[in-house]
Amino acid sequence: MNSRSAFLAIIVGTLVAGLTGTAYAADSKCGANTGKPATGEPIVIGGIVSVTGPDNFSSSGLAAAAYFQCLNANGGVNGRPVKYLLEDDAWNPEQSSQVAAKLIRDQKAVVLVGNMSFVDCGANQGLYEKEDIMVVAGVGVPRDCFFQKNYAPTNAGPRVSNTKAVMDVAQSYPGKIKRLVCIAPNIPNVGEWSCTGAVAWIKKQGGDGKIIAFDPGSLDATSIILEAMAFKPDVISVGTPKGMAVPIFAAAEEQGLADKVHFTGPASLYNLDFPRAIGKYWDGKVTVDMELKAADAGTPDMQNWLAVMEKYGKASDPRDTFSQAGYLAARVTAETMLKLDPIRIDRQSVTAALRNVKRFESDMFCSPWYIGDGPRHNANHAGPVSLVKDGKLIPKPACIESEDPELDDVHVYEKVIGLAK
Amino acid sequence: MPDFTPFLVSGLALAATYVLSAVGIVVLYRASGVVNFAQGAVGALAAFISWSIVERGGPESLSWLVGVAVATIVSLAYGRLIATRLVSTDPITRAVATLSFALILLGFMGYLWGEAPRRLRLPTDTMSFELLGVRVTLTRAIAFGLGVSVTAVVMLFLSHSRMGLQMRALASNRELSAMLGVRVFRIDGWAWVISGVLAGVSGVLLADLQRLSGQALTFAVIPAIAAAVIGRFASLPATVAGALAIGVCEALLTPVPVIGPFRSATPFIFAVGAMLWMQRKPVFVYR
Amino acid sequence: MTDRSLEGVSLAVSSRLPFREIALCAGALAALYFLPSFLTGYWLRVLISVAALVVASLSVSVLFAQLGMVSLAQFGLLGVGGWFALRISHGMGAPFELALLTGGAAAALVGLVVGLPALRMRGLYLAIITLMMAGAIQVLISAFGFPDGGAGILGKSTGARVMMARPFLAQGDPAYFRYAVVIAALCYLLVLAHVRGRPGRAWAMIRRGEVCALAGGVHIVAYKVWAFALAGFLAGIAGGLLAGGVGQLDGSAFPASQSIMLFALTIVGGAYSSFGPIIAGLLLRAFPALLNELHVDGNIATMVFGVGLLHALMTAPQGIAGQLGDAFRAVGKFFKGNGGTAA
Repeated sequence: MNSRSAFLAIIVGTLVAGLTGTAYAADSKCGANTGKPATGEPIVIGGIVSVTGPDNFSSSGLAAAAYFQCLNANGGVNGRPVKYLLEDDAWNPEQSSQVAAKLIRDQKAVVLVGNMSFVDCGANQGLYEKEDIMVVAGVGVPRDCFFQKNYAPTNAGPRVSNTKAVMDVAQSYPGKIKRLVCIAPNIPNVGEWSCTGAVAWIKKQGGDGKIIAFDPGSLDATSIILEAMAFKPDVISVGTPKGMAVPIFAAAEEQGLADKVHFTGPASLYNLDFPRAIGKYWDGKVTVDMELKAADAGTPDMQNWLAVMEKYGKASDPRDTFSQAGYLAARVTAETMLKLDPIRIDRQSVTAALRNVKRFESDMFCSPWYIGDGPRHNANHAGPVSLVKDGKLIPKPACIESEDPELDDVHVYEKVIGLAK
Repeated sequence: MPDFTPFLVSGLALAATYVLSAVGIVVLYRASGVVNFAQGAVGALAAFISWSIVERGGPESLSWLVGVAVATIVSLAYGRLIATRLVSTDPITRAVATLSFALILLGFMGYLWGEAPRRLRLPTDTMSFELLGVRVTLTRAIAFGLGVSVTAVVMLFLSHSRMGLQMRALASNRELSAMLGVRVFRIDGWAWVISGVLAGVSGVLLADLQRLSGQALTFAVIPAIAAAVIGRFASLPATVAGALAIGVCEALLTPVPVIGPFRSATPFIFAVGAMLWMQRKPVFVYR
Repeated sequence: MTDRSLEGVSLAVSSRLPFREIALCAGALAALYFLPSFLTGYWLRVLISVAALVVASLSVSVLFAQLGMVSLAQFGLLGVGGWFALRISHGMGAPFELALLTGGAAAALVGLVVGLPALRMRGLYLAIITLMMAGAIQVLISAFGFPDGGAGILGKSTGARVMMARPFLAQGDPAYFRYAVVIAALCYLLVLAHVRGRPGRAWAMIRRGEVCALAGGVHIVAYKVWAFALAGFLAGIAGGLLAGGVGQLDGSAFPASQSIMLFALTIVGGAYSSFGPIIAGLLLRAFPALLNELHVDGNIATMVFGVGLLHALMTAPQGIAGQLGDAFRAVGKFFKGNGGTAA
């Protein structure tokens, strides 16, 4: 938690709210929208995020918390309020398994919503399947998050995202993009895995790709860039978390590469601080993939998310793509539970109901989302791409459908449930 | 056969990092007998404060002065308040104590600033020159030059000045030095001040050259200790040479097919090799 | 460090069995058997980690208390042991016990490799060289990652991750906790057997004076190597227990800094006492878990940890176990003194 800037943000936020907020505040719609607070027996819902550690990964959980507060102020789930318990796993699998046991076995949560953690998917897979509890995650990152029966992220995942980023560059410069270098941290089920989709795609187009996996603890970004350039690429994808990407872009800037190679990155770089951090040199030269549509789209659900965050979230909660993902996760869970008999809301009924979600629409998605009862869940695989310009991330209008070969089984399942195009 | 020349230059650039950190460690060890695990954290603190001042619109030169000043004060505070209480314990306890201090600073920085994508910029970033086909910013050249010149200055200071002599005496045997009239607390304090200044300056430079991240800068001290090992914690020129060797070797391994991904182990392999070489004659300990 | 290993040892040789100690241990084990029913799911998992780290701390204290050697690489050896345990479990479908023993053996071998260059060093140099080894192990573990069900030695799963199979007798958390406690007790017995046997006497002679030991016919190199191997074995067992507890291990969880923390907290717990590793295990895992339960910000928890460690280093050279021991002795003297005068 960033207390100093939180204080400033509260002041700014209050001023902004005073000028424009009244319009938002009236517009937040959640659940049954009765406007009356819920007073029944609470439904326990949990969430696991990674706050302390190499990065603060919690915006998804904070957005879900805000949505549930809005829900409780609007009749809850047919009269029953939601008790949302958010736990920190500090990027540590031991701690992740501990808080998962706490939420599932001690607090008897019926579902987990808004998870956002690098280690949760791997550490708790066994527990989730044993207790048959669904996790409607905000954000999944490692491969494990997209290959579990009980885990359904609303985001697309770094592999799908990376593939889309490279596809967009190839589409923007047709015929010129033949060689790809993908830079990723050497965590096998996060870094290398996230690059294999893009490399597989470019090879299918007749090009060639190389993955450079580097040690995140090393301090030598220049050598990574030099190694990348030795491959003579047309496009370089920086598939790293945003903090690690800044030194890589700095090293590339030092070598004056912005005009020699196209640079792009997956949604892990999509953060409002990112353009400022990499600086004016990269203006108009970097594209970043988005898993959901842009925050300033002005469409109804997008405005609702902003309104919910405005009224029920804290001013210091980031309004980024992960926050959007958390909001969507909370919304789909709430609307699913509203269809159930309020007396009989328990883990089994909620799990069965969520597995039955075959179509969930929102203008934040490029195509309808779903959970389904398949062995794995990767429903979000289309989104726009944005361009770094004037210190901001400006989205391009078109939605790109990712052509990652690993998604073949997902497409087959979508045909079965009738969602395929 | 991959082209190694660009990696020679990036190796020198990396070596600048190692030289800066390692020199600070060796200087403090020679002056007070403490291996300072908190050096990276103190430097990171200076970098964060400097960055914050520039963020709020303050002048750049002031931001560096304030950052380095804070690093010096924090270092002196530790030296006066805590290190003096541990003086009679063994070197390992004192080293672990500096690690606890590093944890306190790390928690403090994480609480106040958190981890977010940030870049510390220095005006010399925009000026660069080309060396063997690789562009090197002036900042890197300054870091390198600073490491070497600090080494020379400190060597002269320790060997030719009165205070330098007293510092060496103090590190060698505290009780005897006190009996001989060396003003223990004052000299000790000066050693920590010098360490703080070095940590602050290297912290700002490293935050520019690498990453403005509390975690990354704090634990960058471990490869720096490897370079200090090569200098046997005593010889500054050997430390600089060691840091150079480590940096260049590590970068040169980048294009090598199988070993490349493991090149960040280079500092440690070098350190172990150097220690084995130094200890090759058997020594009995008489108790 | 001054050798304190013989303080508090009574001069009279006793060949009686230490009945009081055995009764205490039996009582403690019985209490631990019933403990899971009083614990929440959260604390049960925390205590499983504590049990594994007690064994890890034991590995550090064996080297330190018996030979005065500081090893800052033990947590890395935990990672090595865990790696092999996972590989054997996934790759061969071997039972948990076999995987655990293999992990221990592998870590013992690597511990030997770590120990060989260190044999001639002492004090700070030994600490630094083991720290460098820990750094190298960290790079290796980061680069390889931990096994997760993929084929071959270094294979990575391309689909779902495979979790480590728990022991046949201990599938659920309460059973696994008891299992871990039994393993920890067995490790304690192993160390006790060493200390009371030939190796312990050899180590004692080496510790008091290498020249005398050499004169006494003790093969110094062999016994030092044995100590490193034993410490490595214990660290490997701890790694396997941790892997079984969570089901997987994370490549970024074994940095060199954790090895330093393990050493530091073993000293704080009390390296010369049997309680020391238990206190160290609790400090390493139960204390941060308590802070997380109270929803203390993780960064504040790091600061509290640093302050506590600093305080302990400054005020308690015998460690907390030493302080507790002193407190018990003071209380005992108080009662005995009263009893004496009354009688």
